Amino acid sequence: MIPIEFFLVLSAALFCVGIVGVITKTNGIVILMCIELMLNAANINFIAFASYLHDALGQIFVLMTISVAAAEVGVGIAILLHAYKSKKTTDVDDLTVLRW
Amino acid sequence: MIMDYAWLIPLIPLLGFVAVGFFGKKLPEGGGYIAIGTAIIAFVISALVSYEYLTGDLFAASQPYVADIQWLAFGKYEINFGIYIDSLTCVMMLFSSFISTLIFVYSIGYMHGEGQRKRRYYAEIALFLSGMLGLILASNYLEMFIFWEIMGVCSYLLIGFWSFKHPEGDEASIKAASAAKKAFLVTRLGDVCFMTGLFVLLWSFGNLDFTTLFDPAEIAGADGTMILIGSLLLFGGVIGKSAQFPLQDWLPDAMAGPTTVSALIHAATMVKAGVYLVARSYPLFIQNADVMLLVAIIGGVTAFVAASMAMNNMNIKRVLAYSTISQLGYMIMALGAGGYLIAMEGEVEASIGYTAGVFHMVNHAFFKALLFMCAGSVIHAVGTEDMRKMGGLSKKMKITSATMLIGSLSIAGFPLLSGFWSKDLILEAAMEPSILGLPAGTIFLFLFALAAITAFMTAFYMFRMWFMTFKGQPKEASEHCHGESPRSMTVPLIILSIFAACSGFLIFLGLNNIITFSVLDHGSGVEYLVGGFGHTAGHIFESIFTNVWTYVSMALALFGILLAYLMYCKGSIDPARFNSNGESKIYKFLTARYFFPQLYDQIALKLGYGVARGVDYIDKNLVDGTVNGISNAVVGGSGSMRKMQSGYVRDYAAFIIVGVIVLVAILYVIVSWGGA
Repeated sequence: MIPIEFFLVLSAALFCVGIVGVITKTNGIVILMCIELMLNAANINFIAFASYLHDALGQIFVLMTISVAAAEVGVGIAILLHAYKSKKTTDVDDLTVLRW
Repeated sequence: MIMDYAWLIPLIPLLGFVAVGFFGKKLPEGGGYIAIGTAIIAFVISALVSYEYLTGDLFAASQPYVADIQWLAFGKYEINFGIYIDSLTCVMMLFSSFISTLIFVYSIGYMHGEGQRKRRYYAEIALFLSGMLGLILASNYLEMFIFWEIMGVCSYLLIGFWSFKHPEGDEASIKAASAAKKAFLVTRLGDVCFMTGLFVLLWSFGNLDFTTLFDPAEIAGADGTMILIGSLLLFGGVIGKSAQFPLQDWLPDAMAGPTTVSALIHAATMVKAGVYLVARSYPLFIQNADVMLLVAIIGGVTAFVAASMAMNNMNIKRVLAYSTISQLGYMIMALGAGGYLIAMEGEVEASIGYTAGVFHMVNHAFFKALLFMCAGSVIHAVGTEDMRKMGGLSKKMKITSATMLIGSLSIAGFPLLSGFWSKDLILEAAMEPSILGLPAGTIFLFLFALAAITAFMTAFYMFRMWFMTFKGQPKEASEHCHGESPRSMTVPLIILSIFAACSGFLIFLGLNNIITFSVLDHGSGVEYLVGGFGHTAGHIFESIFTNVWTYVSMALALFGILLAYLMYCKGSIDPARFNSNGESKIYKFLTARYFFPQLYDQIALKLGYGVARGVDYIDKNLVDGTVNGISNAVVGGSGSMRKMQSGYVRDYAAFIIVGVIVLVAILYVIVSWGGA
């Protein structure tokens, strides 16, 4: 059996990739994809613990997360689409009108 | 039981105030008839209440009728609101409402030409009457103080009635405004004393009800020093309200208002409130002989100082104003002398000083209202207040000149007219302590001398005024005169002149039993009684006519009248001989009113302005500084903090991540410490 640490290291690595992507990338689509990475890192954790603790609750939670993530991406893409229509760009560094 | 409805007496003029205030513009004469109606109703109820009280068992036992409800209670203190009727109340409310009624009727004629502003006038005088009646009927000092202040406000409003548009021009209207302000501020000085006195009394007695404060057992149980301080502070209120020395200067300036207002303030309300307060607070005041001595001295000095200033004034209303101050001084002096006697003797049946003071207040109300209304009638006819421009008016204004003559004779103390009786009682009261050889006898002898000189001066200046106005050669303003004033003005004059002539006889017709104050010693304790135990009419008559000083004061008064006749009517003595054509030092000193206005100004400027500047400095720097500092800190802090809102998504993400890491770290530390 694969030790649980492997799963945790994998999910932590995936999460860090997501964080770095969110902070460094300027393309809105890429940022959304990086958020997906972070969510999936959390999903891996859920599955791993569900399997090791013999508790189906974690798997149910993952289904929940996936559906919420789908909805969230839907909203995010819609915002980006509108932003692109008005500004002709998806670069978030150019979308800085909501500030002081 | 009409007495149970005595609370209606102040309430009805108050309703009149509301009605006139709201609907006066639509009513004839600006609602003047409503004001008269409420005054008449108040008088009728007063008369019924007085009749019921004075014929009832309570008066026979010299006990007050009290009805009150609890108003507020805090801690061990308790304030009530109600009515307190004793014989003093009856006398006061009868003459106040009666004279006010006549003044209101007179106003219909006098204020006829004021147009829309009549509404304001009638509303305010109705409130004024309400204030006075409420003050008279109040069952405790706080209630009294409230009505006292209502009168203060009304006097301010009415004295400044012409501050917007004076019939004599803009300068006069500015003067009216500043006179109103002066009256308000100077009486405020007394009111602050009064209020402080109330705090002192409340602290030492636990409540302010007359029934508690005038109970000998309660007084004996209270701290004597507190009573001393309290009564001195109350007397401070009297000095302000009744224009006693050294706060007398507002009253002559208050002549800037309409003459009817002056009549109201001087005869029926306002300044009488101070005298009433002294008479009402007698049980407290007599606890200390020194307080009463002070009262008497202030009264005597006021009487003399004010009378001297009246001697060379050329303004018909100002002469009357000074004479009011002087007569008020008489009343206060009589009350002081009587109280001093009680304080020293311990037991006095029907104090003559008390009777004299209250009696003179009643008489003065009649003749001073009469004199002011006559003066108003003259001013109405000639359009000026300067007596030098009048003269020879007696042919044109027969009723006014005759009634004013009666008033002048009465105030001068002409034998058998009302002023004569009360003035002689006052002189007798002032003399009594020195006859009995009390410690302050010499002071009272001196006060008696002042009062006697004042009697002479009173006769002189009153007749100087009368002769200058009605006799001699007609001057320029007399030409304006187009005959007698309207009926609504002359009828009150005639009614009042009857009272002014005859009210003195009331002392033989029952008043001798009503306005008395007695202290009875039962051995186990003293008892203070208002009403009852009066001297018999025969005794008063005898004591007046067997007293040699009566004849002296009579001679002084007649001499004063004669001198005025020779100087201002016959012209055989030239007034200029005495004052070197208005150049002598005394003349200038009197014209400058003893330099009291300057003194006030200096005190107000140096002290008041200095204090105000200090307060202003604290306000600007300390109070405003704190407030501005806090707001500046908030504005500056938020100005620098908002830079965090950069608009870059990654900044926000970084903040969130850092925040989460910090939170986790804190949680970790807490959990690991908690576990250990």
